[in-house]
Amino acid sequence: MDRLWWHFQQLLKIDAMNLVILVIVVLIGWTIISETIPNPARYLPSPLAVSLSSVDMLVKGLLPSYYSDTLVRLIIGSSIGLAAGIPFGLLLGLNKTVADMFHPMMNFFQSVSGIAIFPIVVIWWGNSDTTVLAVILYTSFFPIAFNVLSGVREIPIRYVNAARTMGASKYQIMKDVLFPGAMPHIATGSRLSIGFAWRAVIAGEMLAGRQGLGWMIFTGQDADRTAEVILGMVMIGLTWIILDHYLLRPIEADTIERWGLVQR
Amino acid sequence: MNSMTPKLVVEGLTHYYPDEYTGESVHALEDINLELYEGELVSVVGPSGCGKSTLLNILAGLLPYKIGTASVDGNVIHGPGPDRGVVFQEHAILPWRTVAKNIGHGLEIRKVPQAEREKRVQEFIDLVGLTGFEDKFPHELSGGMKQRCQVARTLCSDPVVMLMDEPFAAVDAQTRITLQEELNRIAMATHKTILFITHSVEEAAFLADRCLVFSARPGRLKEIVEIGIPREQRNWTNMNDNAIFIAARDRILASVREEVSIAVEE
Ligand SMILES: Nc1ncnc2c1ncn2[C@@H]1O[C@H](COP(=O)(O)OP(=O)(O)OP(=O)(O)O)[C@@H](O)[C@H]1O
Ligand SMILES: [Mg+2]
Repeated sequence: MDRLWWHFQQLLKIDAMNLVILVIVVLIGWTIISETIPNPARYLPSPLAVSLSSVDMLVKGLLPSYYSDTLVRLIIGSSIGLAAGIPFGLLLGLNKTVADMFHPMMNFFQSVSGIAIFPIVVIWWGNSDTTVLAVILYTSFFPIAFNVLSGVREIPIRYVNAARTMGASKYQIMKDVLFPGAMPHIATGSRLSIGFAWRAVIAGEMLAGRQGLGWMIFTGQDADRTAEVILGMVMIGLTWIILDHYLLRPIEADTIERWGLVQR
Repeated sequence: MNSMTPKLVVEGLTHYYPDEYTGESVHALEDINLELYEGELVSVVGPSGCGKSTLLNILAGLLPYKIGTASVDGNVIHGPGPDRGVVFQEHAILPWRTVAKNIGHGLEIRKVPQAEREKRVQEFIDLVGLTGFEDKFPHELSGGMKQRCQVARTLCSDPVVMLMDEPFAAVDAQTRITLQEELNRIAMATHKTILFITHSVEEAAFLADRCLVFSARPGRLKEIVEIGIPREQRNWTNMNDNAIFIAARDRILASVREEVSIAVEE
């Protein structure tokens, strides 16, 4: 909690002025463009119109409901993805031969993006919540597993040997050497995984027609409610910034920076 | 001392490294025989590439061997184990553990209760002079301090024999002298059985009860030089006037020189 507060203060101190100025400039530019084009309600509603529509949706309770649907999907999907991907990568990394064998395969799967596997998953499970969850799981599992595996392969062998000469078991080597040693890669991998999962949720909701932010954007376009489309986009971006800044960054600062594994 | 059973025994140890690409193998060690008795510090010197690290890795259980036997306390070596502690040339303390947690790692692995662990850890932190640095991470330490930390980690696990592979090679000359004197003091205080590999003849003569000179590759035991100086008398202020030290050092140096010239001619 203290850490969160500290990060909040840092954000206020250093970035606050720049951020405020930037946001104001963007809002002014946006308003000017919106005022000069014909039919702004369809092509680019002004910030004011977007805020009004958000107030409207808040009052009706639609925005909180969509937003929480999306967030719950993301949290469930990427938690499972990370919880499965990290140990999987570590296990593969225990044995060098196995690691070398799996590396290209993992590389293959992590490159086939979530959207690309969508059609086949729809064939299996139709337009359902299962489909959306499966795609999120897929997109978050492979980047983290691949990154952890790469990270384990880069750990100097002398660290593993040191633990072995003290009588460490395979499990203890995994816990005390491979996991912390792969931490820089776990951090980047988690960021990639959650980032991909976030995209997959939005795309999944659009394609499978499940209610949520993605769905809101999609139907907003159909119904010519452009303000809602933009509102959805802003919410998506803001959520990611907050996740990244308040969840992922503090984890990195407490581990790999503290241990001197990266310089900042 | 020699009437006791030896702690470490190596008999007829020969080692070849297979080369998967050329099919030719590298003959690293040839018929090594040695015995280490309790409380003895034995150093190994020899030209670069003569198989010193190979011997140490075999004894550590990190490198499988086929020809000959090696045993500690009567148990044949089949793999790594806590009866042998290793101090590596490049520091191998874990960057993500504090000094105290690194030193206590061996005890943690053996599930020694925390209270006892902390007591022992503090004892060895004090012994190697790292008091006040308990909660620092390795990247916050100097090279010499990292090696002290590694020595303390090995001692803390209380191995039967301690294997050291050029532990002070990577630190500056001044620190190195201090570390040598400290190791001498530690050897006196703990009575550990130590196999100490070095390429420094001075270091070998300063620290060792016996110094084993290896021939150029394949490494053979060429000569054994006994250095009968009591540990209390070993410190760098008077070592250079010590006739036994000088004689031993020159003997070892001459012996190694011959081998180095052979190694160079090859
Ligand atoms: N993993 C390995 N595979 C193949 N050959 C090896 C391997 N490790 C060492 N060798 C070879 O075995 C010989 C002995 O190597 P070793 O590392 O034991 O020498 P050393 O005496 O420790 O040398 P230095 O003083 O330079 O550390 C060398 O010729 C080396 O090239
Ligand atoms: Mg060596």
